[in-house]
Amino acid sequence: MNLDKKYTTYIVGIFLIIVFTILLTMLPSSINFFKEEKSAMFVLTLSVIFIMLYEIRLTKFTDKLPFLRSIPGLKAIEEAVGRSTEMGKPILFVPGIMDMNEVETVAGVVVLGHVANMTAKYETELDVPVARAIVMQAARQVSKEAYLTQGRPELYNEDMVHYITDDQFAYAAAVNGIMQRDEPAACLYMGKFFAESLLFAETGNSIGAIQIAGTGSQTQIPFFVTACDYTLMGEEFFAASAYLSQEADLIAGITAQDLIKVILVIVILFGTVSRALFDLGLVSFDFITLIGI
Amino acid sequence: MILKRYIPIAIVAIFGSLTLSAWFIDNETIETFANDDATQFFDIIAAFAVFLGALNLLKLQFIKFIKKQKGWQYSAISIISFFFAFTIGFFIRGAYFVEDKVFFTEEAALESLITVDISKGQQEPSYKVQENSFKDISDAKNFAIKQNLITPVDWGAHVQKNGSLFQWMFKYIFSPLSATMFALLAFFVASASFRAFRARNFEASLLLLAGIIIMIGRVPAGGLISSWMVMYLIVLVSGLYIHYLKKKNNVTIIFTLAGFILVTIAGMITGWPLDKPSIFYLPLLQEWIYLVPNAAGSTAILMGIGLGIVVTSLRYIFGLEKSYLGE
Repeated sequence: MNLDKKYTTYIVGIFLIIVFTILLTMLPSSINFFKEEKSAMFVLTLSVIFIMLYEIRLTKFTDKLPFLRSIPGLKAIEEAVGRSTEMGKPILFVPGIMDMNEVETVAGVVVLGHVANMTAKYETELDVPVARAIVMQAARQVSKEAYLTQGRPELYNEDMVHYITDDQFAYAAAVNGIMQRDEPAACLYMGKFFAESLLFAETGNSIGAIQIAGTGSQTQIPFFVTACDYTLMGEEFFAASAYLSQEADLIAGITAQDLIKVILVIVILFGTVSRALFDLGLVSFDFITLIGI
Repeated sequence: MILKRYIPIAIVAIFGSLTLSAWFIDNETIETFANDDATQFFDIIAAFAVFLGALNLLKLQFIKFIKKQKGWQYSAISIISFFFAFTIGFFIRGAYFVEDKVFFTEEAALESLITVDISKGQQEPSYKVQENSFKDISDAKNFAIKQNLITPVDWGAHVQKNGSLFQWMFKYIFSPLSATMFALLAFFVASASFRAFRARNFEASLLLLAGIIIMIGRVPAGGLISSWMVMYLIVLVSGLYIHYLKKKNNVTIIFTLAGFILVTIAGMITGWPLDKPSIFYLPLLQEWIYLVPNAAGSTAILMGIGLGIVVTSLRYIFGLEKSYLGE
């Protein structure tokens, strides 16, 4: 598709979203249920939805997958599974310590599905200790489906995903114990983590395991970067599913994410300049105040 | 197919949209649903799921123990701990209150209420509860119970009240063990920092430098280091770097000497103020590193995380991402 036409569609679409939002705020109070103070967020959310759906629509008309840059951490997952297979040692997968109401945990469980596909293919032992019972059920379902998809249901064992405890440090102690006793060849940490992140990563490092971490927990990223071989930082982690599945619909979502990022950068730059001009008394309106930030 | 695929997707789409709309719609019913009801639904499901988790834990530990697998001793401790916590949580209440004093058993609470009176001329002791005297100790105990002089803590509340065995376990076994694990972090931070701070390349050297400035700048001694001292150090390190690049002694000496002379002249003109120029004063420099480059980097990561969460959530709501169903 012509790039000009694509970006014109986006500009027109976002303009219409802004007009729609303004109209919503102008409705008479008797029928107005819209929270005016959240207008900027509303515009952003609708823009994300619009761009994402439009990008997905565009992928229907082309055979070529949208470009997705190489993510070393995700490439290394297959390498880690291969290493474990060669060494005859298990793979340890830790899906974080939070429940399924956290997007990061769901993203972690999704990555587990892809890892289970590989372990089923290579006949490698997989060990998934979990901190929440609901996560245990979801992880079992995902792993079971992966083993079925690979045609190896006999290799699937329900107890490969097992519950330990809800408590943070008790869970950390148990997982560290598993690492020390079983010495897995690869340790994957994908989910939401807190202070236990470094306890896992340093113990994994001490046993010489190849370690790949993925998290959206901003405060834990430096610890994982320091102690792990590969780290999926923030958005890379959320892109993992699209990257591993290579599904056009999911990759289109990543493209939309990048486009929104570009728009945000433009808004930030415009806001900074506008604020500076406003503070210098050169213009009479302040964009930052106007959008309610 | 419908049960395993379409219904879960529909549930995610409906409840996801409702929760999202609660952000923008000023309606009490939707807001109550998103903020209270939905979280309560989740808590109820999680509470029931804990049984599955606990049973799974016990099953695996029993198998390990019975089959004497590697580390079976730890499984034995796990099983004993599980039943210990279960028993004191569900069957032993403890925490008997007598006014503001708390006793672990009812017997101990009763004994605290009864005073033994052995007056002269009495052949047998009498037992006093408040102002009432009894010849038999069991009568004294019955009286104390009937008068409700002892207040046992309510079931459920006992896990948080001092004096219960559960609270004792929490305070004296569980908390120290958790604190031990947490304390291990200090050592792990040290070992991880040691690896990260090895100056292998430009980025690692930058990290090392920023780390040193922040560490020194944040301690009281850092405030005593003059910015002129830092400038002399910079000249010296730059001289070493030039020597490393050029490998010529005369160039190094000229550069270093010129640097020293310039810094000295500037110091003599300005009167050697401790914190000027402020860019070389460590407490101010570390604050700048922390508030500007660090904040800029972390905000960029945060924006990426936020956008990632939004797009991932929308993928679930629109039914584009079905991997969580095992597809």
